[in-house]
Amino acid sequence: MTLLLDIVTTAAILFIVSAGLLAIFGVLEIVNFAHGAWLTVGAYCAVVTGGLGLNPWLALPLAFVAGAVLGGVTERLIVRPLYARPLDAILATWGLGIVIGQLITLWFGRDVQFTENLLSGTIHVLGISYSLYRIFALAAALVIGLGFAFLLEGTRLGLSARAIIMNEPLARALGLDTTRIRLFTFMIGTGLTALAGVLLTPLTSVDPTMGVSWLIGSFMLVMVAGSSFGALAIACLVFGGAQVLVSTFISPILGGITVAVLSALVLRISSKGFARA
Amino acid sequence: MKLPSLIATVTSVMLAGAAFAAEDPIRIGVPVGLSGANSVVAPSVVQSAELAVEEINAAGGVLGRPLELVIADDASGAAGAQKAFDSLVFQKEVDVLISMETSAARNAGLPIVSRGRVPYIYTSFYEGRSCNPYLFVDAWVPEQQVPPIVDYLNAEGAKKYFLIGSDYAFGRGMLDFARSYVESTGGEIVGEEYLPMDGTDWTAIISKLKASGAEAMITSTAGGAPNVTLTKQLRGAGVDLPYANLAVDEGTAKSMGADAAGILISASYVTGIDSAENKAFLDAMKAKFGDELRTPNDLSVPQYEAVYLYKAAVEKAGSTDAKAVLDVLPEVSFTGPRGTIQMSKQHHAPLTMYLGQVQEDGSVVVVETFKDVDPGEQCPKL
Repeated sequence: MTLLLDIVTTAAILFIVSAGLLAIFGVLEIVNFAHGAWLTVGAYCAVVTGGLGLNPWLALPLAFVAGAVLGGVTERLIVRPLYARPLDAILATWGLGIVIGQLITLWFGRDVQFTENLLSGTIHVLGISYSLYRIFALAAALVIGLGFAFLLEGTRLGLSARAIIMNEPLARALGLDTTRIRLFTFMIGTGLTALAGVLLTPLTSVDPTMGVSWLIGSFMLVMVAGSSFGALAIACLVFGGAQVLVSTFISPILGGITVAVLSALVLRISSKGFARA
Repeated sequence: MKLPSLIATVTSVMLAGAAFAAEDPIRIGVPVGLSGANSVVAPSVVQSAELAVEEINAAGGVLGRPLELVIADDASGAAGAQKAFDSLVFQKEVDVLISMETSAARNAGLPIVSRGRVPYIYTSFYEGRSCNPYLFVDAWVPEQQVPPIVDYLNAEGAKKYFLIGSDYAFGRGMLDFARSYVESTGGEIVGEEYLPMDGTDWTAIISKLKASGAEAMITSTAGGAPNVTLTKQLRGAGVDLPYANLAVDEGTAKSMGADAAGILISASYVTGIDSAENKAFLDAMKAKFGDELRTPNDLSVPQYEAVYLYKAAVEKAGSTDAKAVLDVLPEVSFTGPRGTIQMSKQHHAPLTMYLGQVQEDGSVVVVETFKDVDPGEQCPKL
């Protein structure tokens, strides 16, 4: 039973962390390698919220706004000229990630920062006591997933975004302001990533390099998932599940590389990954 | 510490040297991890070395000569250490190396030390058994740190132990020793698990811990981030077993807040040591560094004492000649914040160990003191 909960909550956390990256990759076909840095920015929003003595939950909206605003500036100044050159965009965002990490180091120092826990303690589910926060993370992942489904399927912005995914020149010819839609999508992606950074704080230490260890995992998951949130959810469940199983029954050291190895294998067998699902 | 203030301090030390009627300074090389993994702790190490040098120079120096620090960044690793040691030993021609470094940096530096024939006092606790005629160590090894913790947990009634660590030399070395010590005292290891140093997901390990029926756990992760991550996830999962942490220092415990409460630590230095020497040391640090002060710790205090041990050795030998200094280093002692230190045991030092428990507010209270714990057989051939 613990194993089952470990699997779904691990998948939920992976989903939360990768959702922002997928939003940007799915619509804009840009791999945002500054993803880890946005996670870090979000976590430091939690540090700032705590430093101001505010309710720790306020860090969530604060991080979303901060991430979106900074993302907007980034899109305008760095990413926009590079949409036609995805490889250069990887380099540019990778560099941006390093710059953001260094700025955070300058401002807050290298030390590990302390944040107040959003939720602590355990809860009785299915006959065992389990971390309350991980159960909450599961709920948060569902909210984010359903929220995105609604955004894409139920709103004007989502409709336009899907039009851009399918055929951008045609969408533009039909009068859609694709530049603005790209900007909004990028902002939502970075805002969501910063939000994920806050959600990570009860699980990891907060320091200037904290995002890096999550970057590769989310990158792999997004490569496998393509542009579909459903596929991302499946990828998180399958790979997160495999990670927990390998960690539990073989070795946690091998568990740490499960996601990367399985993603590479899946992409080798089928270049579309889970996107067809 | 910021670089300009570092340069300023080094310069001020050199200016102070001018009072010594143009006597040649004795140069102390300090290769230390100003960047990389050790960068969090390195500034406190540099500060305590600076205080020792300032105090000694104010009191007339060593054999009438002032001390001068030459600080070099070893980037916390092997490649950086090779450059730092090379430049200190062969270009700056230092008389001695005194430094707190990672094991990787120490191992990379040792061949250069042997080639340059310079005494080298290593001031970081480490996994033990690094032996070289030029190397002396005034910090603890597993034989000194682990037994106080296990003895205490045994006395509390724990029999089944679970070990968790980061997958690297220090993490595995400490837990290997913990395993053999627990087993030799009649305890049982019900699980031993590792995660890579940059690993962040302890989920599976925590579930195993909960299922194992362990009565106590001992962890030895890499310092800083992995330590905090593991502790947060343990607390999130509701684990409240007696929890001994071999890798947490007072400062990190403080920043972890309530999550750290109850953690047992074993160290040769905690700020709360109640002695005149420790009080004088802490006051002098505060006076010298003010707001810039990094909290003195189990890595920075041995650095301070090592400078004094070197001073005592040079005075006893009557010169800075490497051979003469090495011959008398095991014989000299210094009474500092940690008590009286003498590197008399196969180039290692018997140390008084303090078993501390972290409180709700992050402060560390000494639960038990273990006098002059022996480092054991570290280098029987030296």
